[in-house]
Amino acid sequence: MNSRPEAATLAHLQGRFAAALRESGPASEAAIRQLADCIVDDGLEPARRVQVYRNNARAMFEGALERTYPVLRRQVGDDQFAALAQGYRAEHPSRSGDLHWVGEKFASWIAPRVAADGRAWLADLARLEWACEETIVGARLPPLAPAELARVAPEMLAEVGLVLQSCLRTVSSRFPVWSAWRACQVDGSGEPVDLALGAQHVVVTCGDTGLVLHSLPEDQFLFVTALAGGAPLGSAVESAALDVEALPGMLAWLFGEGLVTALRIPAHDFALDRELE
Amino acid sequence: MGDVRTARFPGGPIPARAGIGLRSAHQDELVARRLAVAWLEVHTENYFHEGGPHLAALERLREHYPLSLHGVGLGLGSVAPLDPVYLARVKGAIEHFEPALVSEHACWGHAGGEHFNDLLPLPYTEEAVEHLAARVRQVQDFLGRQILVENLSSYFAYTASSLTEWDFLSAVVERSGCGLLLDVNNIYVNSINLGLDAERFIASVPAGAVQEIHLAGHRRNHVGTRDLLIDDHGSAVCPEVWTLYQRAITRLGPVPTLIEWDTDVPALDVLVAEARKADSFLEKASELAA
Repeated sequence: MNSRPEAATLAHLQGRFAAALRESGPASEAAIRQLADCIVDDGLEPARRVQVYRNNARAMFEGALERTYPVLRRQVGDDQFAALAQGYRAEHPSRSGDLHWVGEKFASWIAPRVAADGRAWLADLARLEWACEETIVGARLPPLAPAELARVAPEMLAEVGLVLQSCLRTVSSRFPVWSAWRACQVDGSGEPVDLALGAQHVVVTCGDTGLVLHSLPEDQFLFVTALAGGAPLGSAVESAALDVEALPGMLAWLFGEGLVTALRIPAHDFALDRELE
Repeated sequence: MGDVRTARFPGGPIPARAGIGLRSAHQDELVARRLAVAWLEVHTENYFHEGGPHLAALERLREHYPLSLHGVGLGLGSVAPLDPVYLARVKGAIEHFEPALVSEHACWGHAGGEHFNDLLPLPYTEEAVEHLAARVRQVQDFLGRQILVENLSSYFAYTASSLTEWDFLSAVVERSGCGLLLDVNNIYVNSINLGLDAERFIASVPAGAVQEIHLAGHRRNHVGTRDLLIDDHGSAVCPEVWTLYQRAITRLGPVPTLIEWDTDVPALDVLVAEARKADSFLEKASELAA
């Protein structure tokens, strides 16, 4: 029986292959050459064959980011987006066979880079797109009927927590990120965003047909954010500085959008959860 | 009391007819039109999530169509350990959608903690047979069911390979008990890219193991004086692949056949027309087998 050269074992071949896919710049030439030494040369240069896999690996990663960040891509253009994707991949390569989560750190990674270009708002836009990505695949439970809240004794209302859909996300920006996102949707204008529109505060939810993005006044946004963080109604109103007269309208909106899934009442959690769900 | 599970969806095997790969661009139209395609296949990874419109659409479609879950990200043949989180999600998707078939690829995909999210070829060696067969057994044990393993498109061959691709796959089947998903387009792609004997491949593959066939299009790149075919699933099935397909089902008998079209996705009716064409060949194969 022939003894196999060490470099031909599965582990060595995969190690060389991985290096040829991973390396960039000058180091890539040596890595490609080392893998090419293990490839049948039938007249088509082995390095050209390796390049197909390098292109695939880059395209798969970049494609995943493009699907998550279509609005950001449109704003920066294909070339800059590709450059950002490659820089990001070098520092944050895929850690799963499921590419869905590969863009999780993209917004924070691009933040200092776009800020250096005087376009800090693009990082907030990316945060909004990541929130959309989390929402669209998140669980959506059956909504609670508003009548259930009416069953709570008035003196207990301030202590009641509203359990919101777990797929709900909130993004606050000093830039008009909702307008930028809207302009790039199918029914949007596609026009460049007017940064003079100023701060926008967005609640991202998912309906039966897909994503729904709500741009809210700051106090209403803070109220929803506080509820989503587990605050009871009373302290959510207080921390958001929400006008108490606006509360019925806000509650009607939350229930109307199907965003409330249960009530949380201190000391009565178990009994009421069972009763009200 | 034992674990008693109640089926949520219609059971039964996938029929030996043509199905289509479900793409998100088609899901709402398919829900609305309920077209007469025999079955659907989806990429398992797209249904790892807790909710959302895609999951809901597949739940609705699953009530009417048999389903195959086809994985592209497990990296079965990687020397590095399989990702337990990923495997658990595969199991979760199987429990959720109750597919008739579950498949993956005869490839590797990750090393040193990095996933390349591509179907990377293995050398056809004894060591690789043993490794891949052991991994398939591990997955089948974990999932509690048989899986199918699909042959790849490759853009190079290793000097270390000592077996033909069909002998490699036959040995993996024998040592693991898996089934085969025979991708006829991949056989054709490898015949051009690597000089593989496509006719011999089809004549030699273990007939009893083949439980599904894939058909797809590819892109032809000219590299110097040579052609290099890229398996991009972005066009109609080419005449040469239809011819090989007829050879395959003449030998194997009618086998559930999937039309894959993953990039430059056409109108749903175009995809369905390709499935009808495969169905016409399957009907002829049925008549021959009768």
